[in-house]
Amino acid sequence: MTDQSDLRHLPEAIAVPRQRARVSAVWIIPILAALVALGIVIHRVWSEGPTITILFDAAQGIEAGKTFVKYKDVKIGQVTAVQLSEEPGKVEVTARIARSAAGLLVEDAQFWVVRPRIGLSEISGLATLLSGNYIGFEAGTSRNERRSFTGLEVPRIVSANAPGREFLLKARDVRWSSAGAPVYYRRVPVGQVVAYDLAPDGKAVDIKLFINAPYDKYVSSETRFWDVSGLDISVDTSGVELRSTSLEALIGGGVAFDTPAYADPPAPAVDGTPFTLYRDRTTAMRHPDAVATPYVLHFDESLQGLSVGAPVTFLGIPAGEVTEVGLSYDAATLDVRPRVAIILYADRLLEKFPSNLKKGRAVVQRLVEKRGLRAQLRSVNLLTGKRYVALDYFADAPRARLDLRREPLELPVVVSTMPDLEAKLASLLAKLDRLPLESIGADLKNALETLDQTMKNVDKTLPGVQTTLEEARRAIASVDRLATNADTTLIGPNAPAQQELRDALQEVTAAARALRVLADSIERHPESLIRGRLEKE
Amino acid sequence: MTACPGCDLLQRLPTLPGGGRARCPRCGDTLAIEPGEGSLQRALALAAAAAIVFIIGNTTSLMGLSVVGRHASTTILGGAYELWLQGFQVTAALVALACVVAPAAYLSILLALLWMSTRSPVPKWGGRLMRHASFMLGWSMPEVMLLGILVALIKIAALATVVPGVGLYAMGVLVILLAAIKLTFDPRQIWQRLAWH
Amino acid sequence: MALSAAEAGLVACQSCGLLSRSPGEQLSRCPRCGAGLASRQRYSIQRTWALAIAAAICYVPANLLPVLTTQTLASSRSDTILSGVAVLYTSGSWPLALIVLVASVMIPLGKLAALAYLLLSVRLGSANGARDRTRLYRMIELIGRWSMLDVFVVTFVVALIQFQPLMASQPGPGLPFFAAVVILTMLATTSFDPRLIWDAAHD
Repeated sequence: MTDQSDLRHLPEAIAVPRQRARVSAVWIIPILAALVALGIVIHRVWSEGPTITILFDAAQGIEAGKTFVKYKDVKIGQVTAVQLSEEPGKVEVTARIARSAAGLLVEDAQFWVVRPRIGLSEISGLATLLSGNYIGFEAGTSRNERRSFTGLEVPRIVSANAPGREFLLKARDVRWSSAGAPVYYRRVPVGQVVAYDLAPDGKAVDIKLFINAPYDKYVSSETRFWDVSGLDISVDTSGVELRSTSLEALIGGGVAFDTPAYADPPAPAVDGTPFTLYRDRTTAMRHPDAVATPYVLHFDESLQGLSVGAPVTFLGIPAGEVTEVGLSYDAATLDVRPRVAIILYADRLLEKFPSNLKKGRAVVQRLVEKRGLRAQLRSVNLLTGKRYVALDYFADAPRARLDLRREPLELPVVVSTMPDLEAKLASLLAKLDRLPLESIGADLKNALETLDQTMKNVDKTLPGVQTTLEEARRAIASVDRLATNADTTLIGPNAPAQQELRDALQEVTAAARALRVLADSIERHPESLIRGRLEKE
Repeated sequence: MTACPGCDLLQRLPTLPGGGRARCPRCGDTLAIEPGEGSLQRALALAAAAAIVFIIGNTTSLMGLSVVGRHASTTILGGAYELWLQGFQVTAALVALACVVAPAAYLSILLALLWMSTRSPVPKWGGRLMRHASFMLGWSMPEVMLLGILVALIKIAALATVVPGVGLYAMGVLVILLAAIKLTFDPRQIWQRLAWH
Repeated sequence: MALSAAEAGLVACQSCGLLSRSPGEQLSRCPRCGAGLASRQRYSIQRTWALAIAAAICYVPANLLPVLTTQTLASSRSDTILSGVAVLYTSGSWPLALIVLVASVMIPLGKLAALAYLLLSVRLGSANGARDRTRLYRMIELIGRWSMLDVFVVTFVVALIQFQPLMASQPGPGLPFFAAVVILTMLATTSFDPRLIWDAAHD
C-alpha cells in the first residue's frame, strides 16, 4: 500500500513542445490518392478491349497471362486462360484484345500459333524459341463482329494487305508439297505459293500463288508457269544438263514464270483464270500454236534408246520431237516393223515456211527426192544410250519417193551408222577370243629363248636379227628416255616431244613388225636360226 | 499519472501543448503525444490516403520486365504466390503477412477507429481493436519490402530491361504515409475517448 | 524519488497506458481497454532465451544453405546470403552489397548479441547504463525487421525471372531458415520486457 503523499512527490515528465501544422491541407493527400486510383481504374477499363475465345487443336507454348496476340508484330492482346474446350479434342484459349484492335475482330479474321516450325521445306518462327510462342493474327475484310474463332493449324503465309496479286495454277501433280515455296521470275524470288489442294473434280491440283507487287505486272495472259523443284536432268542433243534454280527450290519446291518471246503483246492476266503448271521450262515455253506437222518413220533396226519426247533435229537444228514409238503391223506382208511418229515445227526452222499445207508438202517432197533428205537414228552419247532422230541430207542414199497420198507423210530412213555398242563389243571380244594368243605367246617365248642363245654364238651370221634387235633396243631406250622426261616434254605445246614420241612409237611399230616377220619366218623355217637364211645356196 | 512503458517509472503527465510530447525522465521513452488541433482529422485523412494507395499498390504491377521479347510483371501477392508454387509455403505466407495482411489489417482497423472516434464515445471493443492494430503494425513491414524490391530491381536490371510500375511508386507513397501517420497519431487520443466504465 | 509502478503496487496497461491497482500475482484485465494486465511479462527471460537460442541455431543453415538459385542458358548458380553479397559487390553495385550485408548479416548477429547482452545484464543485476540499455532495446525493436530484406529480394527476383529456358530462378533451402531467424529474433525482442532492466538497476 502506498501513500498518497508519495504520489505527490513523483517526478514530472518533461514537456517537449512541437510545432503546429495546418489542418485542412492534409486532406489533399487522400484526395490526390483517390484521383490517382480513379485514373488508373478508368484507364484500365477504357483500354481493356473485348475478350475472345479461339479454338485450337493444341496450344503449344501458350500460357495464360504470358502469351501475346500479335498483329504485324504489334501486341494487340494477351491470353488470359487456356483450358480444354467442351468440343472434344480442342483447346479453348481465352484472350483479351486491346481496345484499339477491337475493330479487327471480324468474321473472317484468322488466328494461328506462331511457333518454331522446321520441316524439310519450311523453317519459320525460330525467333519464338527465345521469345516464346505467340498467336498470330490476320485481319479480315468482313464487317460482322465476332468474338469466338477457330484457329488455323497452319499459319497464313501472306498478309491480307500485302500488295500484289493472287494467281491460280492447275497441275497434273506436284513434285513438291509445301505452302510457302517461292515463285521465281528470272531467278529472283518474287512471290510465294500460298496453298495447294486437290481440285474439286480430283483430276488436277489447284495451286494458289501470291506474287508481290510490283512483280505481279510481269504476269500477263501469255505467261507460262513451270515447276522448278528438285533437279532438272535433261538429256538432249547437246548433252546432259543439270539444272536447279536454287537450293531452296531444290529441297522445297518452287514455281517460276516467264513470258515467251513469241507471245503476242501481253494483255494483263485475267483474274481467276487458271494457268497451267508445266513440267519444266522447255515444255512451258513451247509454242502451242506452232505448225506441227506429223510424219511417220519406219525403221529396220532396234529402237532401243529412243523414247517419246526425244528430240528430232533437222541438219542438226532442233526441229521437233518424237511423239510415238511403237510397232506397226503390215497386214499385207504379215510384217511387224518398228514405227516412229514425229512432229516437226516448221516455223522453228524457217521464218517463212509456207503455211499452205500443199506447198509445204511439196517442199518436203523436193528435199526427199532431190536432196536426199532421210531420217536416221543417232545416239546422243554412248554413255546414256539415249537416241534421237536426225533428219539429214544423204547424197548417196538410195533413191526414194515420197508418197504424198499417205497421211501422215512417211519419210524414208537410212540405217544408223553406229550399231549397238554392245554388239560391237561382243563381236570384238569374240574375235579376240578366236586368236590363238596362247600358242603365239608360247612360240614367241621359245623363239626369243633360242634367239638369245644363238645370239651368243652366232652374231655375225644373222645381221638381220642384229639390226632388228638394235632397233628394238634403241626403241626401248628412247621410250625409256621418253618416260623419264614425259611430264616436261610430252605434254604441252612442245612439239619435239610429241615428235619424239611419234618416232619412238614408229620405231616400236617397226620393231614389232620386224619381230613378227621374224617370228613368222622362224616358225616356217626354224632351222634358219642356226643356218641363217639360205641365200639361194 | 502513468507508468513509463520502458522503465515502469511512475510519473505525472503534464498538460502538454498541442503537438507536444511527453518524455520519461529516466529512460527517455516517449510517453505521449499531445494531439494538435484536428490531429484526428489529419490522421483520418492520411489513413484514408494510405488505404487507397495500398490498394493501388497491390492491384497494379510492381515492375515490368522484358528480355528478348518476353515479358513478365508481378504484384506483391504474385510474388508470394510464386514462392508458394515453388514449395516454400511458409515463407510465402510470411511474405504475404508482412506485406499485405498486416498493413491491410492495420489500416482498416485504424480507419474504423478513427472514423468512430470522431463521433460518439468509442465502445469497449475499440480497445481490443486498438490492441490488434498495434500488433499488426508490429508485423507490417512495407518499407523493408520496398527496399527489397529496389534491390531486386537493380539485380534484375543487370539481366533484362526493367520498367518500374505504378505499384512500386504506390508502395513508396504508402511507406511515407505510414510514417506520417505514426507521427501524427497517438493511440492515447482514442483511449481518452473511450468511456471508462 | 524514482518509484516504479510495480513497487507502488500499480500496473500500467501496456495497451492503453492506464494505471490501475495491481491485484498481485493474479491475472487481471485492464478496466479501460480489457487488455491482459501483467506487471512484468511472465517468463520473459526464459522465453527470450529460448527464442534467441532457436534463432541462433537457425542462423547456421540460413547462411550455409543457398537462398537463391538462378539458371541461364549457359550456367546455373546457387547463392547463399554471403555469396549474393559478393556477387553484388563484384558486379559493381557496392552500395547494394553493403545494404544487403548490413541487413542480412550484421543486423541478425547484432540482434542476437544485443539480446544476449541484455539478458545477461538483467540476470547479473547490473545497475549502470540502464538508460543506454533501454536505448539499445529500442534500437533492436526498430531495426530488427529490416533483416527481412533479403527474403523480399529473393521473393521478387524469383517472381519475375521465370523465362524458361532462357533464364529461371528458384528460392533456395536456406530461405525459410533465414526467415525463421528474423521471425524468432523479432519474437524474442517482443518477449523481452525492458522494464526488467530498470528493475535490476533499481534493486
